[in-house]
Parts: sequence; structure tokens; C-alpha cells
Amino acid sequence: MRRIALPIAAAALVALLALVLVNVVRPGQPPTRAQSAAAIAAELRCPDCQSLSVADSHTASAIEIRRQIDELLGSGSSSDAVRQHFVDRYGEWILLAPRSPVAWALPFGVVAAGVALLLIWLRPRTAADGGETVSAEAAESEQLRRVRDEAEALDA
Amino acid sequence: MLPTFGHIALVIGFAASLFAAWAFVIGGRSGDERALSSARRALYASFALAGLACGVMVFSLLTHDFSILYVARNNATTTPPFFSFISLWAALEGSVLFWTLLASGWAALVLHRYRSRHRLLMPWVGATLAAIDSFFFAVLVWPGNPFLRVTPVPAEGAGPNALLQNHPFMGLHPPLLYLGYTGLAVPFAFAVAALVTGRLDEGWLAVVRRWTMIPWIFLTLGITAGAWWSYEVLGWGGYWAWDPVENAALLPWLTATAFVHSSMVAERRGSLKAWTVSLVIATFTLTLVGTFLTRSGVVASVHSFTQSAIGPWFLGAIALALTAALSLLVWRLPQLTGTGRPTSLLSRESAFLLNNVLLCGLTFAVLFGTLLPLVVAATGGGTISVGAPWFNRVNVPIFGALLFLMGIGPALPWGRASWSSVRERFGVPVVAAVSAVVAAWALGMRGVGPLGTLGLAVFVGGIMLDELVRGARARSRYRGEDPATATWRLATRNRRRYGGYLVHFGVLVMAVAVAVSSGLASQTSATLRPGESVRLAGYVLTYDRLVVEPLAADPRVTEARAELTYGGSQEGRLATALRDYPNSTTAVATPSVRTALGEDLYVTLLAYDTATRTVTVRVFVNPLVVWIWVGGAIIGIGSTFAIWPERRRVPVEASEAERLPAREPAPSVEGA
Amino acid sequence: MRYLRWLLVPIVVVPLTLLLFHGFGRDPREIPSPLIGKPAPSFSLAALDGTRLTAAQLHGRPYVLNFWASWCIPGCVDEHPVLLEAERRYGADVQIVGVVYNDSPAAARTFLDRYGDGGWPQLSDEGGRLAVEYGVTGPPETYFVDATGIVRGKQFGPLTMAAMDDRFAALLAARAAQ
Repeated sequence: MRRIALPIAAAALVALLALVLVNVVRPGQPPTRAQSAAAIAAELRCPDCQSLSVADSHTASAIEIRRQIDELLGSGSSSDAVRQHFVDRYGEWILLAPRSPVAWALPFGVVAAGVALLLIWLRPRTAADGGETVSAEAAESEQLRRVRDEAEALDA
Repeated sequence: MLPTFGHIALVIGFAASLFAAWAFVIGGRSGDERALSSARRALYASFALAGLACGVMVFSLLTHDFSILYVARNNATTTPPFFSFISLWAALEGSVLFWTLLASGWAALVLHRYRSRHRLLMPWVGATLAAIDSFFFAVLVWPGNPFLRVTPVPAEGAGPNALLQNHPFMGLHPPLLYLGYTGLAVPFAFAVAALVTGRLDEGWLAVVRRWTMIPWIFLTLGITAGAWWSYEVLGWGGYWAWDPVENAALLPWLTATAFVHSSMVAERRGSLKAWTVSLVIATFTLTLVGTFLTRSGVVASVHSFTQSAIGPWFLGAIALALTAALSLLVWRLPQLTGTGRPTSLLSRESAFLLNNVLLCGLTFAVLFGTLLPLVVAATGGGTISVGAPWFNRVNVPIFGALLFLMGIGPALPWGRASWSSVRERFGVPVVAAVSAVVAAWALGMRGVGPLGTLGLAVFVGGIMLDELVRGARARSRYRGEDPATATWRLATRNRRRYGGYLVHFGVLVMAVAVAVSSGLASQTSATLRPGESVRLAGYVLTYDRLVVEPLAADPRVTEARAELTYGGSQEGRLATALRDYPNSTTAVATPSVRTALGEDLYVTLLAYDTATRTVTVRVFVNPLVVWIWVGGAIIGIGSTFAIWPERRRVPVEASEAERLPAREPAPSVEGA
Repeated sequence: MRYLRWLLVPIVVVPLTLLLFHGFGRDPREIPSPLIGKPAPSFSLAALDGTRLTAAQLHGRPYVLNFWASWCIPGCVDEHPVLLEAERRYGADVQIVGVVYNDSPAAARTFLDRYGDGGWPQLSDEGGRLAVEYGVTGPPETYFVDATGIVRGKQFGPLTMAAMDDRFAALLAARAAQ
């Protein structure tokens, strides 16, 4: 069963990923005003709450800010201009995420560096190592592999 | 009179733990048994004294003794007994008192349990734990005295913080969390002891892992309980806001999880010892940093206790503990450099190492995001915020990679694997995952987040199930057992592995629940006159009436209650309220949550008008939320199963000197 | 070279300690205003007594906008006597204007009856629009605007006697210099 499962699995996965890719990459409809407003509200900090966004909060300031977002979008401002409108009044603090690209890149950079270090550490050092793996693989029969798997399963 | 007793108890407790630390050092250096036993007794005494002080405080809270400043600020004559009791940990000084009780309790437990084992290590374990305890006692004696008096004695107290007295979970979340935090000092103490004595063999690893897992379980349950409590109480419909104090609890959890995995590699290969020890040190340091952030007023948070003089003391403790531990590590570094390294990229070791990289990446991301405003302010860049949008965008991909790895790891054997054998194991799980995603999409689930997480979860679950089935089948064939017995015996003979799988399964449940509940939630708000209805996601809610009256349990609190009738996949009546507490400037929302297996109906009262009897309510339908808490419970059960000692092995109570040299202890021997 | 690894200790401990230490004494909720040095937002609001006041009418004299609320305890209660004193000392040269933040006019009037009405206009900021224009995060907050309509300072939290003297004097000095 496993033998046929693999090609089917590969095909199914590729098909699914293609579908996702097509959906994501295809230029969909531009966001509606309500969607843009909700997106901006989720990125602004509610001024008189504790670390909640304007979208999640129901204080008077949050309600007024949401009203102003709607008004500005209605009069044709872009999302960036709306965000800047509030930064002009509250400072950078009003944005729930820093705009600097460094702030975004740094954590991923650290993970990438860690993965790189790991790969360097795990790299096989001699040609003998590499040769051994190949011949072991070639020699390993289906039966031997199954026995090893089962022995492993019983490993206490 | 009584508060003075409490204060004296703390002073003596400070002296006792300080003496214990000193006597343990003496005993450690000379081997003098009397020094060690008097040190142990001093440690037990400090635990008893902390208990006495806590008892005095609880009694004072229950009897509303307003001559004590802490009681006057956090209690009132109308406060119900349950909330009076839990006010022990509701504010700054009391929380440190409770912490000290638990910390000295762990120390007493560990020192008692191993009083005749690990003779070389225990004096130094005791010294470290006693030193840590003496620090907390010192904080209670000087800057954070919970028994300060107030004159003249007020007739009435301010009452507990409004948010902390309207839900019973306030009695669950802090104790679980603090048990986790304080317990993580124990593996740290073992690490310090191992570094001091130079005994860094595999036996040490087993002890440290057990004593990391036990507080880890409490920490996991505490964090889950915290999320659940905040969801039920705060009214914004969410359960995790990446608030600095929430992050503070997550950070040691992440490094402790990384440790649990890397220690398994260290155990098998004898490598990575320095890295593993560093993780233990980092975990403890992060618990101190977390405590510091909550109590110093340095970052703004929902949780912040009032700013106080305690901050600098904690900072000093962090600097001292980290310097001491790192110096020991650097000193012993030559002995810690590993003997073997995994030789293959495709092996379980590599998967565990990649797991560590990802978990530490997450730790870095969360720490970076929490401290960035501080960094920017310190370097003159003004004030910035780092909130949920940043954390979600950074952490979700890393979590996703970790989820994927959780599937790959168990499919790989220890040591070198051949790609063809590994590849075979993926076939069926991938087909199952793709089918599940397609089925969910057909049933109406949308969104890359929820569907992707579901697919990943089915993939990972499939691989784990495959492992279990193959192992059970092999066992039943070899031993002639029926499948059910085979499965049970397999799991109980391999508690670490299958307990681990159960933990991973709990993580999968949580991951899918989180993805679906955040991606597919719906909400609306409406202003209603009596009799009017609002509809959302198949529910119809009809507003019946508004009741404004004092609370039966605490008459100083006025509650404005909107009563609604709801219908849909669940039916019934609910009441959502806004409560006016005398010591709070704004009304506190008390949301109503109706939980079903498939979704939660969540209603918050935003505003009301007594003249027109109109109310403004916000309604959420949050799918699968209950499974987040269930997932947390599964993690707790799985990890308890994993570390539960196996019955059939006879406990080896022999001391080191008597240990038979020919026998190499198996990883899960009872000696730990 | 053997001892190089010891550098690890200060490298880890010192930056972390300094960073966490830096936070002491700073209130993380206090954010600097981006309006300083920029023209003050205009407004046209009704006062509690029914009259209307616009920013244009205030032009030519320095003025002080104080955002407060009756539920803002103890901050606004502590601050009120300071404002009354400021009106006595500087009221002839500087116009104090109160803005009621997220509160009902009835509650505001009760507060003034209880703690003293200094006689300066108390504006009702319906919906909180002016508060958002000024970037107010919560009462009490006070903004200092010079005679030409440029924002010169922001007081976060209650105004103390010492701060009051400093800021009012600075406003008047700026005026004299023009």
C-alpha cells in the first residue's frame, strides 16, 4: 500500500499547492473600503487601552478613530495616508508594528543563521563517510529495513 | 499583633535560608554530614515560615484587617471569602509572598527527596536553591514588605482590582503559573551543581530533565489557564495579545521545551552538553526577567503591578544569577565540548537540533519584540509599539515550520536514515492531509491559515498514528498479544516516546483550534431597544431587558445587566453585564460566553442607557475555541504520562558508590 | 587566547542589565507629542455654558488646553487646584481652556461644583474628535500653545505646581520675545 501511496501523495500535494498558488498570486478584487478600514484599524493601537488594537477596542477614542478612518478612506486617501494621519497626531507609537524593515527581518535572519550553522555542523567531513552511506543504501533490502523498523518500535 | 508575627516569620525565614545556603556550601566542600543535615532542616524551616507568613496574610484578608496596608489596598468588607483568599497573590507584595512559599516548597521537596542520593550534587543544589530563596525573603523583608501597617486604620478597604475579582479562574491561573516559574529554579540548581562539581555525565541529564518537565507541565497549564481566563474576563473576544507579561511567561516555556528535546540528543550522543546547560541557565534567567518585567514598571502592560522599589532588586538578582551561572559555564567549557556529533542530515538528531534552532528563533523573536520599545527609547529613537500584528506575522511562519518538523522528526530513526525508507512513511499521511483540506474546503472552511494548519496537523497526526500502528502491529506479532493490549503495552513501555506523541497531538489540537478560531471568527455590534434582535453566523439574539442593581455577592458593586435570549446551534438565555466597582474609574465588562464543542457564542455589553433602556452589545461567534483549552489539557496529560515512573522497574536506591559499574543505566531508569 | 571565552560573560550580562536598567524612572506610557513645533489643531466646540469657542478666537494670546474628566481620579482631582492657582497667577496673559474628555456634561459640572470652577471655558469634546487631533492617550493631559498658534509643550499626567510655573513662564517668555 505504501508503494502506491507515495506517487498519489506527491501528485495530490502538487495539485493542491498549484491551486493555492494560483489563488494567491492571481490578482483578486481590490479590497473594499470596509476591508481596508478593518485592516488599518487592526494595525493602530487604541490610545487609552492596554496593547489592544483600535479594531478590538470599544473606547470612545477607538470609535472616533474608526470613524475618522472611514471618513478619510471615503474622501479618497490611501491606506498609507490614513496611517500617516494618525502618526502625525500620536507619533510612531500608534502603530502596532514598527515600520522599519530591520525590525521585521532580524528574527528571520537569526533563524536563517541558526539553520546555516546547523548545516555547517552536520556536514559530513570525509569522503569515506559519503561513500559508506551510498553502499549501505544500495545494500539495504526491503526485508532488512522492515526488521530494523520493528526492532526500533520495540526499543524500550 | 498577627502581622508582626508574619513579618518576624519572614525575617527568620530570610536568616534560615541564608544559613542553609552557607551550611550547604560548607557541607559541599567538606562532605560534613552534620552541616548538610542542619542545612536541610533550615531549608524545611524556611518553607514552614513562608507558610506561616502566608497563613497570617490569608487570615488577615479573610478577617478584613485593614491595619495592614496590603489588606487595606486590596480587600474590602464586602469582598467574598473566595476572592479575599486569592487576594494573597492579587497584588505585588502578596504575589512575592506566594512566590516565596512555592519556591521554598520546591527546595524543601527536592532536598528531602534526594537526601540520600546524588551525594556529590545535592549540597550545591541546596546551596543554589537556598540562595535564591534568601533573595526572595530579602525582598519581602525590605523593599516589598507585605505586612506594612497603616495608621489611622481605615474603616473600609479599597477592594481588589476590579478585573481580578469577577472570575474564579483568578484562583487557578496564578498558582499554576507560579508553580511553573518557581519550579524552574530546580533544574537551574542542578545545572549549577553539576558545573561546580564537574559531574556532567548522563545521569545528571536524566535528573535535570525530570525536574524541568514537572514545572514545565505547570507552566503549560498556567499559560493555558491565563489565556482562558483573559478570554472569559476581558471582553475583547481574544485570548492572547502578545502583551509583555504574556510573553514573559512564554519565553522560559520555549527554552525549556528546547532543552527537553536537545537533552535527548545529548543523552544519546554525549554531544551538545554546553548547549543543553546554556538552555537550562537561559530558562531560569528568563523566569527572573519575566518577573522583573511584571513588577518593575519598565514596560507598559495589562498585567503591570504598580511601580515599586522592587524593580532594582530584581535587576540585581538577574545580573548576579546570570554572571554566576555563565562564569561557571565558561569555566567548565573545555569539559563540556562534545564527544560525538550527528553524522547525518537525515536523522532524528538533526530534526531535534532543527527544532532547537526554531524554538530559540521564536524565543529571540518574542524577546526582541518585547524589548524593542525599550531599546529604541534607550537609543533616543522615541516611543514605538510592538504589538500583535508584528508578533503574529513573525511567529506564525516559525510555528508552522515547527509543526511540520513535529511530523518529520518521529518519522526519522536515530542515526543515519535512508531517504527511500523515510519517503515511504510520508505517502499515506500526505494523502490524508490533502483529503482533509479538500473535505474542509468543501464543507465551507476558507482561508489559507485555517486550511493550511489543518493540513499540517493531519499530516503530522498521520505520521504519529502510523508509528503507533506499526509498533503495535510488530509487538502483537512478536508477543502474540491482541492489538489493544499491544498498543497499551507499547505505550506504557515507551512512556517517553508515546507520552511525547500525546503532547504533540495536544499541540496539533491547539494549533488547529487557534488557526480556526482566529481565522474564521465573526463579530458584529448592535444597539438594541428591548425586543430587538441581532443576527450573526446562524445565531439570533433578542434583547429582553436591562437590570441595574447591586451585586448580591458584593453590594458595593453596581451591575448593569442586559438579559438576552439566543437561538441557533445553541439555545438559551444569557446575561452580559457592565460592573461599576468603587475603586475603578471605568466600568468593567463581564462578557457572557456560551461554549459548545463547535463554537463559542460570546457577548459583551459595551454601553447602556437607563433612560431609553437601549443597550449596545458586541457579539462574537468564535469557532473551536474550547479545543484550545482541551489541547492544553492533552499536553498536560501527555507530559505527565511521559515522565510517570514505570512500575515494573525496581527503584535503584543505591548511592553512587554502590552502583554496579557494568550496568549502564537506561535513559528512563527510576534513579531519576 | 585561553581566556578569550570569558568575554562571553560581560557580553551577555552588561547590555541586558543596562537595557533593563534604562527603563527605571521612565513611565512607558508617556509618549512625546509629534505636534510640538507644529500648528495647533483648529476646533469649534460648545462650552458647558452653551457658548461656542473656536481656535481662531484664541489666536494672538498663548493658551493652554487641559484635557480632563470627572472619572479621572486621583489625577484630575490633584491637578485642579494647580490649575486654579495658574489662573490666578497667569490668567491675564494666558488663556486656560478645559476640554472634557469622554464624559457627560452633567458629571463634568458636578466635578466643577465640587472642586471649584475657575471661570475658564470648559469645552465639551463630543465624540472625542479634538482628543484624537491632539493625540491624547488619557486624562489628564495638557497642551501649551503660544500666541502664534504653535504647540510648544505637552504635559503628560497631572500638572504639578513646579511644572506649572516652568511651562507658563516659558510660554510668556516666548511671547515676550516676539
